[in-house]
Amino acid sequence: MAPGAPAASGDAKQPPPPLVPSATSAERLALAKQHGLRPLNVRPPLGEYIRDLTKRWAFTRVLATSTAYAKNQNNYLGQLWAVLNPILNAAVYVLIFGVVLQLSRDMDNSIAFIVIGVFMYRFIEASVTGGAKSISGKTQLLRSLHFPRAVLPMSTVLSLLTTLIPAIVVMCAITLLSGFLPTYEMIHVTWWWLLLPAAVVLMWIFNTGLAFIMARLVATTPDLENVLPFIMRVVMYASGVIFPVAAKVNELQIAEPAKTILTGVLDYQPVAVYLYLVRSILMQEEQFPPSGLMWALGGAWAVLFFVIGFIVFWRGEERYGRD
Amino acid sequence: MTEADDHMDFDLEVEPEDAGEEALETDLGTPCLVVDDLHVVYRVIGGRAKKEAEKQGAEIHEVKVKVPFFKRLLQAGRRHVGAVSEIHAVRGVSFTVRHGESVGIVGVNGSGKSTMLRAIAGLLPPRSGTVHVSGEPSLLGVNAALMPALTGERNIMIGGLALGLTPKQVDERFDEVVEFAGIGDFVYLPMKTYSSGMGARLRFAISSSASPDILMIDEALATGDAAFKERSKARIEQVREDAGTVFLVSHSISTIEAMCTRVLWMHQGQLVMDGPVREVAEAYKNFVRAQRPGRPSMSPARRRAHLRKKAREEAEQKAAAEAEAKKAADARA
Repeated sequence: MAPGAPAASGDAKQPPPPLVPSATSAERLALAKQHGLRPLNVRPPLGEYIRDLTKRWAFTRVLATSTAYAKNQNNYLGQLWAVLNPILNAAVYVLIFGVVLQLSRDMDNSIAFIVIGVFMYRFIEASVTGGAKSISGKTQLLRSLHFPRAVLPMSTVLSLLTTLIPAIVVMCAITLLSGFLPTYEMIHVTWWWLLLPAAVVLMWIFNTGLAFIMARLVATTPDLENVLPFIMRVVMYASGVIFPVAAKVNELQIAEPAKTILTGVLDYQPVAVYLYLVRSILMQEEQFPPSGLMWALGGAWAVLFFVIGFIVFWRGEERYGRD
Repeated sequence: MTEADDHMDFDLEVEPEDAGEEALETDLGTPCLVVDDLHVVYRVIGGRAKKEAEKQGAEIHEVKVKVPFFKRLLQAGRRHVGAVSEIHAVRGVSFTVRHGESVGIVGVNGSGKSTMLRAIAGLLPPRSGTVHVSGEPSLLGVNAALMPALTGERNIMIGGLALGLTPKQVDERFDEVVEFAGIGDFVYLPMKTYSSGMGARLRFAISSSASPDILMIDEALATGDAAFKERSKARIEQVREDAGTVFLVSHSISTIEAMCTRVLWMHQGQLVMDGPVREVAEAYKNFVRAQRPGRPSMSPARRRAHLRKKAREEAEQKAAAEAEAKKAADARA
C-alpha cells in the first residue's frame, strides 16, 4: 500500500446494514421440511424422552458416583468423611434432643429413634435442596452439552443414595449399640431387617420425584431456593424426626375433630410414612408395629410423586438453561 | 511495504502459520441447517441494564439530576429488589447451511456470535424463531464444565457419556483422546492440577471424540501450542470430509480465513454480511481497521512514518534541552 493512500474509506467505519434474507420464512421452513430436517429446541414426546433417558443411564450413574466421590476429595481424610459426617451429625442430635431436652423420653430407646429419624430425613432434605440446584446451578453444563435434562435431578438423588449407604451402616451400628446402654431397651437383629433395602428404594423413588419438582420450580423462580431451608425445617419437626409429634398434637387446645384430622395428616404424609417404615423395621418399639397399610402408602406416595414429578419436569424441558 | 507487513499491523490475533492458507472448497450438498428468524433474549436477574448498553458502541452518559430523597430511596430499591432486565443478544437471524460447508462467524466482542452458536446447537432456548438440523449438532467449547476435583480419566468417561457414547465406546477411544490432548500421565491426576492449556486441550479432545454431524467450535483453537493447533485442524478437516458441517467462532480472522469457506458477519445481534470467505473477511478487516481509536484515517504505513517523525522531533527537543541544561551548569561553574 502506497504511503498516503487512505487505508479505509469513510463508510468502513460503519458495518453494512443488516442483511435482508433472500428467502421468506415460509420458503425456508418448506426447504427444511423437504430435506427432512428436525426442529431443535422442541420438547420431545414423552415416550421418546423416556427412551432417551434410559439410554443415558450410564451417564446418570457415573455423574452421580463421581459427584459423591468429588465431594470428599479435598480433605485429608478423604472418603472417610462419608462415614464420619453422619456419626457427628447423629452425636449432635442425640446430645441436644435426647440428653439435654429429653424430648423423646416416651420411647424405650430414644437414641435409636432420633438417629433413624435424622439419617433418613437428611436423605429427603438433601434430595430437595440438591434437586433444587440440579438445574439452576448447572447453566454452564446445560449450555455446553446436549442430553435429556432429567439426568441431572436423577443423578443428584442417586449420588445422595451412594453416600447414604455408608450412613445406613453407621445408623444400624448405633441403633444396635444403643441397646447395650443401661436404661435403653435392647435391640435385636431380626428377619425384618432384610426389608430395609426395600424401604430405602421406595424413598429413593419418592425423593427423585421431589427433586424433579424442585428442579423445575427453582429453575423458573430462583428465589424459592431461599425459602426451602425454612420449609424443610418445619417439615422436619412436623414429621416426628426427633420427637413423636402425635403426642404433641394431643396436648393442643383444639376441637376433637380437628385433632383427628391433624393427626391423620401428620401420620400419613409421605415423610412420616417412610420414617415409620424404617423404624418399624429396625426397632422393636410398641409404637411402631409392622404395618401393611404403611407399606402400601409408602409405595403409593413413591409412585405418585415420581410420575407427577417426572411429567412436571418434562413439560419444562425445552426451557432449561435459558436463565 | 509488502502486503504481509500490512497484515502484521492489525489489531487482530494473527497466527503466522495460518497466513496464506486457504480452506479447500468441497462440493456442496443438501441443506443441513436452516435457521429462521432467530431471536435470543437473555433474562438477567439481579441487574438493570442501561438502555444504551444494549446498543453496542453507544456511549453511556451519567446525567446528574436532583431527585427528591424519597423518590431516590424508591429507585434504589427498584435497582436492588426484583431487578430483571433483558438483553436481546440475537435479533432476527436467518440463513441456510449445506452439507460440507465450513462457516466462520466473525464480529466484534458482544455482537452475539457465541450466543447464536449456542442457540443453533440447541443449547440455549431461543425466544422465537426456529432452527432445523439434520443429525446431531455438537458444540466444542473450551468452557464445557467438567469436574475439576476428578482425574482426567474420570472426566473423559463423564464427557464421553454426556456426548451419548456407551461406556465401552469411551474405553475404546480413551487412548486416542489422551494422545490427542497430549497430556500423557497427567490424565491420572485431578483436572484442577492441569495448566489452563492442558485443561482446554483435554476438553477439546473429549468433545471431539464423538464425531458429530455438525461440529461447532467456539474459540477452541485459541488455546494450545502450534502442534495441537495442527492436530485440531486435521480433526476439523476430517469432520468436513465426512460430509459434515463445521461452524467456527474465532477472534482470529486468519484462522477463519484458513479454515472456512463461508463467513457470517454479525453486528449488534444481526447478520450484516454473508458470503465467501475472501469477500467478507476483507470487508471485516477494513471495518476493524477503521475502528481503531485515535488514528482513524491514517494508513499503517503512514502512521509509522508519522511516529518516526514524532520520535525524531522528540529526540531533537530532548537533545536541545540537555544542551541547554549543560550550558547553564557550565555557566554556574
